[in-house]
Amino acid sequence: MNRKIAIAGYRMKAASDLVTTRERLTFELTRGLFDDLGIDRDHVGTTIFATNDFLDGRTISNVFLDPPAGVYMRDESKVEMDGLSALVYACMRILSGQYETALLVAFGLCGSQVSPYLHVEYTLNPTYDRQLGLLNELSAAGLQARSFLNKFGYSEDLLDEIAARNLRNAALNRDQARGIKDASAKDIKDSSYLYEPLRELHTYPATDGGCAVLLASETKAKELTDKPVWILGMGQSIESYYLGERNLYESRSTREASGRAYAMAGIDKPEAEVDFAEVSSLFAQQEPILTEALGLYGPGDAEKAYAGDNGIAGSLPVNPSGGPLGAHPICATGLFRLNEAIKQLRGEAGKNQVKKAEIGVVHGQDGVCAQQNTVVVLGI
Amino acid sequence: MRNVGIIGIGYTPVFVSKRKDVNIAEMISEAVEDCFANTGLGPDDIDAMVFGNMHTFEGVNMPHLWAADYIASLGKPVMRIATGGTTGMSAIHAAYYHIASGLHDVVMVVCFEKQSEGDSQVGLMGIVTPEIMAMLQAGIDISGSSGMGALAGGSAGAISFQASSYLARSGAGIEHIDGMAALERRNAAKNPYAHLKDANATAESVARTALISYPIRFGHICPTSDGATVAILASEEKAAELADGAAWIHGLANCASDASAGNILEGVITDPAEQMPCQLAAKQAFERAGIKDPKKEIDCVEIYNGFAHQTLMFLEKLGMCEVGEAHKLLDAGELEINGRCPVNASGGVVSTNAIGTSAMNRVTECALQILGQAGEHQVEKDVHKALSHGWGGLMQYVTITVLADKPRKG
Amino acid sequence: MEAPAENFFTPVVPLDFVYNYRVGPYIERYLRGFKDKKILGSKCPGCGKVVVPARMYCGPCNRRMEELVEVSQEGSLENYTIGHVILEKGAIKPAKGPYMLGLINLDGTDSLLLGRVEGVSVAAAKPGLRVKAVWKEELDGDFKDLDHFEPV
Repeated sequence: MNRKIAIAGYRMKAASDLVTTRERLTFELTRGLFDDLGIDRDHVGTTIFATNDFLDGRTISNVFLDPPAGVYMRDESKVEMDGLSALVYACMRILSGQYETALLVAFGLCGSQVSPYLHVEYTLNPTYDRQLGLLNELSAAGLQARSFLNKFGYSEDLLDEIAARNLRNAALNRDQARGIKDASAKDIKDSSYLYEPLRELHTYPATDGGCAVLLASETKAKELTDKPVWILGMGQSIESYYLGERNLYESRSTREASGRAYAMAGIDKPEAEVDFAEVSSLFAQQEPILTEALGLYGPGDAEKAYAGDNGIAGSLPVNPSGGPLGAHPICATGLFRLNEAIKQLRGEAGKNQVKKAEIGVVHGQDGVCAQQNTVVVLGI
Repeated sequence: MRNVGIIGIGYTPVFVSKRKDVNIAEMISEAVEDCFANTGLGPDDIDAMVFGNMHTFEGVNMPHLWAADYIASLGKPVMRIATGGTTGMSAIHAAYYHIASGLHDVVMVVCFEKQSEGDSQVGLMGIVTPEIMAMLQAGIDISGSSGMGALAGGSAGAISFQASSYLARSGAGIEHIDGMAALERRNAAKNPYAHLKDANATAESVARTALISYPIRFGHICPTSDGATVAILASEEKAAELADGAAWIHGLANCASDASAGNILEGVITDPAEQMPCQLAAKQAFERAGIKDPKKEIDCVEIYNGFAHQTLMFLEKLGMCEVGEAHKLLDAGELEINGRCPVNASGGVVSTNAIGTSAMNRVTECALQILGQAGEHQVEKDVHKALSHGWGGLMQYVTITVLADKPRKG
Repeated sequence: MEAPAENFFTPVVPLDFVYNYRVGPYIERYLRGFKDKKILGSKCPGCGKVVVPARMYCGPCNRRMEELVEVSQEGSLENYTIGHVILEKGAIKPAKGPYMLGLINLDGTDSLLLGRVEGVSVAAAKPGLRVKAVWKEELDGDFKDLDHFEPV
């Protein structure tokens, strides 16, 4: 990267129902962020939205956000994907030298206003998969979970462990929409099967949520904050649409994306150099699949990792925030991971704070079974 | 800043009302194949991709996911951009920043629309539907509201307010809209990738088409098209290595104003013909491109004109002529393909409108003019600098790109 | 997470969108094959792999797959899930009874075909289990003609 970029500030909000409008949520998040930083809209060079017309139920949904985000008679664009991709675009705009600051706004109101499963159903090929009607986000996740368990010889108990850990962590975190205090594997097993082996509590909750993030060049960041968090590397990749031509127990495109991000960050041995990860694991089995693809744990290491190493107090914590099992506001989820990582790096994560937080890796995804992935490496 | 140039362009073989012979992904792949064939490049030359369309038109959410295997994208970073009518140019801008940032050297942009698969007016209605439904359900009488214009006729309903406002302020008459539409239909007849073509169109023949909503006639309105466009952008270094020539991006900008549906459609706050975002974006793009007098320095223009009066209106907003002067240039023949200020030599959006590609085609058509590859619709004068314009959102979102035949200095 | 103090008016948008998807020549031929109880795959001229259902592009090779080939109706169950629910317009609803979905590798193909599997208990399900296609009695050249798979 030809210049350094920092995250100067962020706001986030999630609940099962925020009882709000898109415009109001956008205004509250951006105004709140501006107030935190003591700035107004004149300090914002460019704005990138990460929203989706399907979720918003309206065509060209970004234009309705222009006034509440302070973009009136200004510059904005929209990345219709997970917010972490919007972050990549915002960074590109700053790296080009054209802008010194960039505002990111992302949200999804899937808790109260539209079904997240419908959103995914519409991504499916309408000439075959949607006609046949067998494939959906949950059946695909069931197949992925089975593929993962069979590949490494794990029992379903592992999925319960993963979900319990995340829901316990989420209960400690006031930025999450769902958490279960002291959740045990038994609590998870008590929830019903959706697509066996996948149970209700192995899956993300339908969530309302959004966030705003301000990125700044080095000079600007130092004016705006005493605690800049630096973007060290970014990488993205996509793999085949066809589930039958992918190994569902692994995430090839996450591996490619993380390879690019680590190369940019100058990280050779992620398992040794990265202190923690926040990954967009929408279903329990995705957490070990993604952390393996991020090079943090080896294939087949999951049982050992969930015995303690990847917990909040462990040597390489994964989703200390509770992850997307605590909140999955589609489009904002990747940036929620980013914000959770910022809290860790700034030492502001409270009960979710990990011991050592100097370099963190965050991940965002789009598509069925994480077809498309973005990885960002952060540091202080 | 790094120079970025357009080094290759590909289109689907035709832009027509209904491509019944292929599905969405198959149709997109045709434009990708065409671009590779035109440039001699292949998937290995591409570092990253930008993809765009308006997915409410086809009812496929994030269609790049399904199309991933069809567009040579596997293993690459792919960014989906969607900003409505301007999507295609917003995607070009994203590709520009991919390269200008120094993160990538060669980026392919893929945009499409297959409007025959859905109902375009339903897609457009989706913009204001929540407002109108809310008004109805709250018991607000909207029968006297001009917002109903949108309800009654989708985009064409809302646009008639803009057209009549423009006519009243510019001194142009409906006959000038007829003349402008005819000019573009004639240009389209020279462009193999245009949809509505009429080599013999005249203002009189357009005037004989049905009046939809004064002053908009059927002959002033864009079609809905199926088609895809692909472009490859490269850094200066890579362009020298991979291509014989390039159309260089000198300046780009976009701007949005207020999108409160009621305000815009009712004309309460904004005159729909004012188009302040267009004026601001053009000013900024010219500044970035080092252009002081666009009237003198720009050799040809491609304007996003879903409706024929917009060609005249935006020429003025872009600073290509004084306010109230565009229709005089039309009368004097200066907007013709062999004129002093050729506009929409391609036939414009009014002749071809696969929405995801419409704003992108404004850029690719300017690039073809600069490269001298526009074939039969190549403008007569030498093109050193060209201006492309995208318009959309809720009639309040504008994108501008200025292209040139040489890389930007310094 | 304190409860929000206000309520907002909540308009419902009851618009139903109708789309007319062209399936393209490959799925059309695939479905036409169903009428003759044939399963058609397409073969990549680059890597030689055969994928079912037939489609135009091989992503990794970026090549058009021009050749359609008939493939075996038998294969092995590679992956499976037991559905206890169905999704209807995005809402989770209980299924009439548990049902198995399988990803099946038809002999000679290099892809997995998603289909319903009958006659296999959860305990008996394992990767590699041999299954065969079962057709509906009356064939319409429709997606549902290939009804399910069952053990050989």
